[in-house]
Amino acid sequence: MAFEFLTFGLGFVVLIIIGIIVYYINKIRVLSNRIDNAWAQIDVQLKKRADLVPNLVETVRGYAKHEKDAIRMVTQARENMLKAGNIKERMKAEGELTKALKTIFAIAENYQNLKANENFKLLQEQLESIENKVAYARQFYNDSVLNFNNTITTIPGMWFTGIAGKKEKREFFEATETEKKPVEVKF
Amino acid sequence: MKKISFYDQISKNKRDSVLLGVVVFFILISLVYIISSIFSPSLSLLFTIFAVIFMIVYTYGTYNYGDKVVLAATNAMPVGEDKRYTKLIDVVEELSIASGLPKPKIYVIKSDEINAFATGKDPNHASIAVTTGLLENLNRDEIQGVIGHEMSHIRNYDIRFATFIAVFVGLVAILSNILMRSFFWGGTREDRKDRNLGILIIVGLILAIIAPILVRLVQLAISRRREFAADAGSVELTRYPEGLASALEKILKINQGKMKVSEAVSHLFISDPNKSPLDNLFATHPPLKERIKILRSM
Repeated sequence: MAFEFLTFGLGFVVLIIIGIIVYYINKIRVLSNRIDNAWAQIDVQLKKRADLVPNLVETVRGYAKHEKDAIRMVTQARENMLKAGNIKERMKAEGELTKALKTIFAIAENYQNLKANENFKLLQEQLESIENKVAYARQFYNDSVLNFNNTITTIPGMWFTGIAGKKEKREFFEATETEKKPVEVKF
Repeated sequence: MKKISFYDQISKNKRDSVLLGVVVFFILISLVYIISSIFSPSLSLLFTIFAVIFMIVYTYGTYNYGDKVVLAATNAMPVGEDKRYTKLIDVVEELSIASGLPKPKIYVIKSDEINAFATGKDPNHASIAVTTGLLENLNRDEIQGVIGHEMSHIRNYDIRFATFIAVFVGLVAILSNILMRSFFWGGTREDRKDRNLGILIIVGLILAIIAPILVRLVQLAISRRREFAADAGSVELTRYPEGLASALEKILKINQGKMKVSEAVSHLFISDPNKSPLDNLFATHPPLKERIKILRSM
């Protein structure tokens, strides 16, 4: 009788321990997947942004042919962005593109017809939105990294990193040099 | 302000929703039992069984289709891919990226007032509705602040509890309406005098018991805690408190509280749709001025 009671109690404890281990392995994996997902989201938005640029360039060309420098700058920045091998490099190129686009939109202020063009207005809204989306995706990425790092470096999460196969802390996204400097727009 | 973890808020909302469902379930079934055993004792068991079946279906329906009821009750129209609402769609997409939640469905309500609400059972089945007045009067940063507030309600599962309350309060309102009507209807017949007196007492008692519970429930749904948590959540997403603060300021200036939506859903809105935000008497929503002050001090 006492023996049965003991095995029953022991079985119960083992079940609870297994439950806890499963919970933390899953939690660590889910947090890690969220980081990868956020990473991919940044890339999706960067590509969408690059796709919009040719359309913008065409529209601007139609109204402001003489602004060759600004147009070249944007096209160049877009090419650099597409050429970049990894997301970090792409983010750097993205900073250049943001600067070039700001110049284009500043120039557009001088062309009433361009400013009033429906297609241009739509592009302006889309580009602004994507810029926000990139920033938010990066913010979410950093939040996810913080969440993950906190979980794997504190008790009890740190006890399960070995079994979950996720021992390494993840890296934060740092602001690129171009982003740290305030962008100057001359009118 | 006390620091609120949104994980605590999520589990509290899930618990409250279950509790609310169970409480309303038993209140209504016991009501049906009491009333039917007074008027037709022989059929009271039948009525009660019917009520149980009805409540099971109704609770299930509330859980799965409560958001549709709320959206229909407020005349909210889905925006789809409408070019006029590009900015709104963009802002919602931006904040769903910022919060890491799936993109909610977007609706628009025709009204000159500035207002918005979110509904649904969880972040995977959520909707956000805004008024046309909001889109006309607020700039992009302000819209971001308001949508951020609604996204936080979605993340915190406030929408589940608030939608439950809307639909259950609606049911109780309808039932008490039926009771009142049957009382007046019965009142036209002379030979029912004794019964009428009985009905009068019962209706009076029921309303006396239910009315304060309802008011309390609605207050619970829009407790300061939930609203302040959603404001803080909005700032956590946009990192720009001034956007929401200035949106609330415009609400304070422009809104008259004349949207005329059912009282059962009014607690879902960011600002009471049926009362002027300046009217503090009997206010169910936390004062906007206080919220603006907190946002500006962040």
